[in-house]
Amino acid sequence: MPKITPDDLKKIRETMTRTMHLRESDARARVTVHMGTCGISAGARKIMSALMTLVEECDTADVILTTSGCAGLCSREPMMTVELRGAAPVKYVDLDEATTERIFREHVLAGVVVEQHALAVGSERVG
Amino acid sequence: MKPYRVHLMLCAGTGCVSNKSFRIGEVLQEELHKHGLEDEVGVVLTGCNGFCAQGPVMVTKPDEIFYQLLGVEDIPHLVEEHFLKGRPVERLMFTPHGGETAVPLMGDIPFFSKQRLIALRNRGMIDPERIDEYIARDGYAALVTALTEMTPEQIIQEVKTSGLRGRGGAGFPTGRKWELARSAAGPRKHIVCNADEGDPGAFMDRSIIESDPHSVLEGMIIGAVAIGASEGHVYIRYEYPLARERLIKAIEDAREYGLLGDDILGTGFRFDIAMHRGAGAFVCGEETSLIASIEGRSPEPTVRPPFPAESGIWGEPTNINNVETWVNIPEIIRRGGEWFASIGTEFSKGTKVFSVVGNLKNTGLVEVPMGTTLKEIVYDIGGGIANDRKFKAVQTGGPSGGCILTSVLDLPIDYEKLAEVGSIMGSGGLIVMDENTCMVDVARYFLEFLADESCGKCTACREGVHAMHWIVDRICAGEGADGDIELLEELGSAVKDGSLCGLGATAPNPVMSTIKYFRNEYESHIAHKRCPAAVCKGIASSPCQHTCPLEQDVPCYIGLIAQGKLEQAVEIVRIENPLPSICGRVCSAPCEAKCRSGEGGGDPIAIRSLKRFLADYERANGLELIPEPKPERPEPVAVVGAGPGGLTCAYYLALEGYPVTVFESLPVAGGMLATGIPDYRLPPEVLDYDIQMIRKLGVEIRTNTRVGTDIQLSDLQEAYKAVFIATGAHRGLRLGIEGEDSPQVIDAVDFLRAVNLGRSVEIGDRVAVIGGGDAAVDAARVARRLGKDVKVLYRRTRGEMPAAREEIEELDREGIELQLLAAPVRVLSRNGCLQGIECVKMKLGDIDQSGRRRPVPIEGSEYTVEIDTLIPAIGQQPDVETLGVENGDDGLSLTRWNTITVDTETMYTGMRGIFAGGDVVTGPSTVVQAMAHGKIAARMMHLYIQGQPVRREYRVTRPALDVEVTELTEEEIERLRRPAMPELDVEDRMEDFREVQLGFTAEMALAEAKRCVRCDREALAAR
Repeated sequence: MPKITPDDLKKIRETMTRTMHLRESDARARVTVHMGTCGISAGARKIMSALMTLVEECDTADVILTTSGCAGLCSREPMMTVELRGAAPVKYVDLDEATTERIFREHVLAGVVVEQHALAVGSERVG
Repeated sequence: MKPYRVHLMLCAGTGCVSNKSFRIGEVLQEELHKHGLEDEVGVVLTGCNGFCAQGPVMVTKPDEIFYQLLGVEDIPHLVEEHFLKGRPVERLMFTPHGGETAVPLMGDIPFFSKQRLIALRNRGMIDPERIDEYIARDGYAALVTALTEMTPEQIIQEVKTSGLRGRGGAGFPTGRKWELARSAAGPRKHIVCNADEGDPGAFMDRSIIESDPHSVLEGMIIGAVAIGASEGHVYIRYEYPLARERLIKAIEDAREYGLLGDDILGTGFRFDIAMHRGAGAFVCGEETSLIASIEGRSPEPTVRPPFPAESGIWGEPTNINNVETWVNIPEIIRRGGEWFASIGTEFSKGTKVFSVVGNLKNTGLVEVPMGTTLKEIVYDIGGGIANDRKFKAVQTGGPSGGCILTSVLDLPIDYEKLAEVGSIMGSGGLIVMDENTCMVDVARYFLEFLADESCGKCTACREGVHAMHWIVDRICAGEGADGDIELLEELGSAVKDGSLCGLGATAPNPVMSTIKYFRNEYESHIAHKRCPAAVCKGIASSPCQHTCPLEQDVPCYIGLIAQGKLEQAVEIVRIENPLPSICGRVCSAPCEAKCRSGEGGGDPIAIRSLKRFLADYERANGLELIPEPKPERPEPVAVVGAGPGGLTCAYYLALEGYPVTVFESLPVAGGMLATGIPDYRLPPEVLDYDIQMIRKLGVEIRTNTRVGTDIQLSDLQEAYKAVFIATGAHRGLRLGIEGEDSPQVIDAVDFLRAVNLGRSVEIGDRVAVIGGGDAAVDAARVARRLGKDVKVLYRRTRGEMPAAREEIEELDREGIELQLLAAPVRVLSRNGCLQGIECVKMKLGDIDQSGRRRPVPIEGSEYTVEIDTLIPAIGQQPDVETLGVENGDDGLSLTRWNTITVDTETMYTGMRGIFAGGDVVTGPSTVVQAMAHGKIAARMMHLYIQGQPVRREYRVTRPALDVEVTELTEEEIERLRRPAMPELDVEDRMEDFREVQLGFTAEMALAEAKRCVRCDREALAAR
């Protein structure tokens, strides 16, 4: 490794941005794939893999991918919830890899809800 | 490679590593692999998270779930549930003590949320072994600024502006120190990081290095730029292997990146760092000793001046700061001195890292702004004192520091304020101590440490600290002598004056400050052979026996029960206790609170229930195992009051051979035992048995004879050689609220007495009892048995009710409503008829000096409870007036609480021949306390009558017999638990006053007795 310069420090910081965003729990978007038994058997793992590939391809540093349990609508799995900072969460149903990619590009990256696959906007009231 | 979607920040600080966190990391990897999650979820080993008590801990990112107390066996479930299925596992989350629901998010746990991190800014956020992660969190950015945009003078000015002071202990302003080193002449200069952290209980520096080694390096390099140093040294103790490894790795990585060595960041600046391993001598933390050690000499301090800034390592200018000081530097340069100075107090800026240890619920490493109060650290962050014990003191500053009393809980912690109360900041060790800590033992411990660590150069320290240790050791062994305290003080000041370095100069501090604040504990050890915390082995062979006011030989009789030698066990009990059937049922059992089996979350031995078992055995078999009285003496003695105090006094006087007459105003003997405690807790036939045994010794009990009315105290003085007054406290205190003179307001004592004596007492169908003590619970349960609807109103919370725990639980079982945080305001009556009581809701306010939150009324929260009868049970007072004496009569002195003043050692009142004890002296207290007074008074009255000096003789407590230990099998160790007391079913007990607790079976008693750890054997072995 050659000796580094102040500019190299900046470059290291840039390449580490995604890691650090993850740790600081500070991201622009959060995508939750529902991974109940129903979700997994309907192919939720493939959806998660697709999302991870997309994150890598698009080099997005500010999107958090996470999982949660069954969303309660087992017949429409696989499902995912997209939540942009400051906006209401949107639930998507009947996903496959192609629709996932479309939702990722249009909603997660560009901010436009893909209504065709959206089930509902908002979440249940808790408590 | 795809980026991970989850990071598992697994703590790999020394604490968690010793609890197998490395192994947990491996199993995590295996399990993730099993589910194909290895590319999605990354495991990051971080430095110390700080919440060491809960280790191994792990925080998930980005969702910030805090997992604790992880075991290898938890991992498969955790991985499948949380990381595959997205369901966080509640069972592994933090649940606050006394709380019911888990707190999932790290930021919601008070231990973390009250902290502010500057020195520990990267803890748990980065992998300390990866330099890129440090860089990603703005690491080495301050160095770039310092090297490319600032002159050395500007750096020093920034540090001066920040107000940063040395975190190693003395608190010398860092900027000034640097200025001196900068201006010193010399071709070569040195920078030293002092990582020789040696205070017992302190681990700030270790944790900082383990979690963020590069921040130490960056601070040092900036310091080197400012001072113009080329040589760097880290002096780290050999006992910190993990910290050392991580620092070595950090230095290598920094060198590889060109952040150390020649031409740093291409600026031409040259600086490198060497590691020095200390051998763990405490004195090496002293800067001149440290320099000597680096040079390869014996670590002995030298005279200053010259200060290291002029002549340090190899006689060259040297600047030494400790770890925590260095890690603050990059943040000060990056965010500005003004920013740093905006945090903290007037003269103490920034934050301070403390290792908070001792008898707290949450122990660990915390960083808080200077000026945070002791109360916030102990209660908000520390979660308060563990095991419901009382808070006693805080020790700060390690062996050089001192103790702070709980009376200064509001003290904002900074350098000045700690000095004002006689302690020091030191490096940040903070040891919290509860009532079970002996302050003399604490002093002994620190002296032992210091005597060991004295380098031996100065005679005052070498010999003086040893001499002090020897004296304190003697005191702890029960062999203290008059004048020892004064001698310690004299030696202390000589050691302080005659020592060259800080170790010697501060060595007397632990003794001096404990003498200053806890002199009574020293006196108690020396004069009374008493260790109030029951810690000092030489004095208290077992805490139960030492704590019992009667000095019941507990381990001895429990040991005999375990062997099945029940008769012999009864005999042992009877030596010190004339009322075992009673104590076995209603004693407050202070012994159990100090029982060593109850330490560390275990259950104390059921000492009271075992005593009851023996007493019931004695009664059932008609054993009558009373000691043989001495030959009859001619001098008659009188006792006024046939309660536990009076009966005990009569018993011991009778054993001594005196003819005793007891005068009792009520129709029955027993005092509060007969008229205060309900039959379902203490059946009359049980009480009568113990009283009958006392009568058999020749004691005459004259009931229905009130001294002051039927016979005068002066007559007793004439007719008897000595008199013991133990008339108790039978007058209920008034609530002091409007309307309480209503006839339907009946004091608990009057109510219980009437029911116990079988007199008729009219109460309505809806009853409210006010109070939280035993009398309140008794009155409520009695009223319930009379078929009434009963509520108990108490102004604090359940945990603060003074009544016995198990009694409070019975309230729930018997269908009695407990309204907590409710205080009465007014009694409501109409046409002379009670209608109800107006109450106000209370909330818990600030913590008072007892460590309890003070209840304060919530404005406008008044509400009415509709009742027909109100029973106040808020305390009692003695009824001394009825004795027909007044304050000042013949030397009698009464207090403002209407109690009789006595010499607390001899129980003598100052009135000719008259002694007093029990509640009439102390105010309402326990049965066992009254009995102890009776026992002491009997001894003192004997000396008084025989014309001998009326003086107590004190001895250390020892078992009467050497009883063999009954060994437990491995299986028994696993299986045996404190048995639950068998009880009458609720439906069977509500119709009458049958005894609720049924007593242990023989099988239960023998098994429970085997569980005793037999502390007494340790003292015997030492002998």
